[in-house]
Amino acid sequence: MKLILCSFIMAFFSIVSAEAEDAKDMVYKYKEYEVIDLGSMEIKGQIIAPGDLTVNERSRKIFERSLLEKSNFDYENKREIENLR
Amino acid sequence: MHKLIIIFSIFSFINVREAYASAKEAFEIYQSDNSNEKNKKIAHELIEGQFYFSAIPFINMYLEKNNKIDQELESDIETLVLKTGTMAVLNLDEKKLENFSIPSISLILGTRLFNKENYKKAFEILSKIPETHKFSAEANLINGTIKNLERSQIEAAQLYENCARKSDKLEKNSSNEKLKRYYNYIKETCIIRKARVKIEDKKYAEALEIYDLIDKRSYKWPYILLDKAWANYYLKDYNRSIGLTMTYKSPLLESYFFPEAEVLMALSYYSLCLWDDALKVVDHFYEYYQPKAESLKEILGQNKKSDTYFLDLYYAETKTREELNPFIRNLITQTRKQIKFNLDLSSLKASKEELNLLKKLKNKNEFTKKLEKNLENTIGFISKKINTYIKKEIFSFINEIHKHSYSMFNLKLELFSKKRDDIYSTRSNEEIKRARGSENNITRNSKQYFFDFNGSFWADELGDYSFGLQSKCELLKSE
Repeated sequence: MKLILCSFIMAFFSIVSAEAEDAKDMVYKYKEYEVIDLGSMEIKGQIIAPGDLTVNERSRKIFERSLLEKSNFDYENKREIENLR
Repeated sequence: MHKLIIIFSIFSFINVREAYASAKEAFEIYQSDNSNEKNKKIAHELIEGQFYFSAIPFINMYLEKNNKIDQELESDIETLVLKTGTMAVLNLDEKKLENFSIPSISLILGTRLFNKENYKKAFEILSKIPETHKFSAEANLINGTIKNLERSQIEAAQLYENCARKSDKLEKNSSNEKLKRYYNYIKETCIIRKARVKIEDKKYAEALEIYDLIDKRSYKWPYILLDKAWANYYLKDYNRSIGLTMTYKSPLLESYFFPEAEVLMALSYYSLCLWDDALKVVDHFYEYYQPKAESLKEILGQNKKSDTYFLDLYYAETKTREELNPFIRNLITQTRKQIKFNLDLSSLKASKEELNLLKKLKNKNEFTKKLEKNLENTIGFISKKINTYIKKEIFSFINEIHKHSYSMFNLKLELFSKKRDDIYSTRSNEEIKRARGSENNITRNSKQYFFDFNGSFWADELGDYSFGLQSKCELLKSE
């Protein structure tokens, strides 16, 4: 039983060390040049609206700034009383 | 001329003699009377001798310990209120004053509570003044203001109407010139308030008709120009609104300057879609008001702890004030027209005269020394009060500028946005041909005059100016 266990361990280590040696020799190469022919590209799907590709025009955001309003004369009225006596 | 001087000398001699007699009486009471009514009696004798300011501490001491006011005391307090204003019961707190329901004290207490924004209590106290009393016109004005602030417009309008009617009657019945002017001031204030209620209720045309009741020579007239400009603005008569605000530029109204008028002028140009004109007003506001307000702030900061600096400025020569800051001169001129300021100023003058009279008394004693000391304190107090008042006016003005700078800033952003839209739409001033002004663009009713503006302001034309600018808005819409 012990013999079987030892042989398993040895076999495992030998596999791991063999893989490590393979990785050391590996050379990665990336594509130096690639041509994509956009003209030949096709989009698969159903046309749900007639005409060309359209973009909905977004309305410009209007910022409403509060301009001076005169809804009452509280400030003036109070000051008048303060200035009376 | 000699006769006049002799008559005047005899008159002042009699006055001094009367004053002396009353002071002697008061001294005798001071020495011998140990009753509960001692202070009341002393005050009465002093009032008889026209030592009004000297009587104040004795009245206050009596009221501090007693809740009963008889007819003689009521009449004395009323005289003091008329001669010294709110100082008559200065040392008594509101809780104590609530115990008395005589009209003079109710008016002082009601005003005090109003200024402390205790409107409910103020209304209750002022309502105690009988409708037939001479203080009821003023009470109606304050109560009308309280209802106005609460947005009870119908009640407010009714109270203002009562006030105008009563003060008109009092003005006609009064023989004293100063009192006549005072009641006239109250009457016009109440008429203006009626117009303001109409504006708040969006009844602009009706408001404008009420404003026409104010005479052009009135103290209040320069102030209503801005109100009228707002009414015209909301009636979309922007040309008249510009004309009215422009009136403040006339040399006669030089001392009246309202930052709000500048904002309204810019808003009116904006509403006519005249972006460049509006921008010019905005830029002028920043160039003209801001640096002067900053230097005013500096003056205020440097002298905020002084009790006399601003009062001295009032007495200083016009040139000195002008050199310090051009606004100071105008602010002092405007302050001079306020009733409270005038009352305090005449109180200061009267108390100084009273002190001189006291010093002229022959037999000096412990009592007269006490009166002199009290009076010196009173003079000091009134001086401080006036100084604080001017300081407060300057402070309010700086605050006004800051407040309206914010409005102008928003308007400027809005104007830039409109100008940008014009550029995007490839519009320019050259493309939009428009007439700069024409009589055809002026709307006027049968009561409004038409004058040509020939580069100078004429006194009789003031308040009737209207521009004749054509609105650019229709042109912009049609493109």
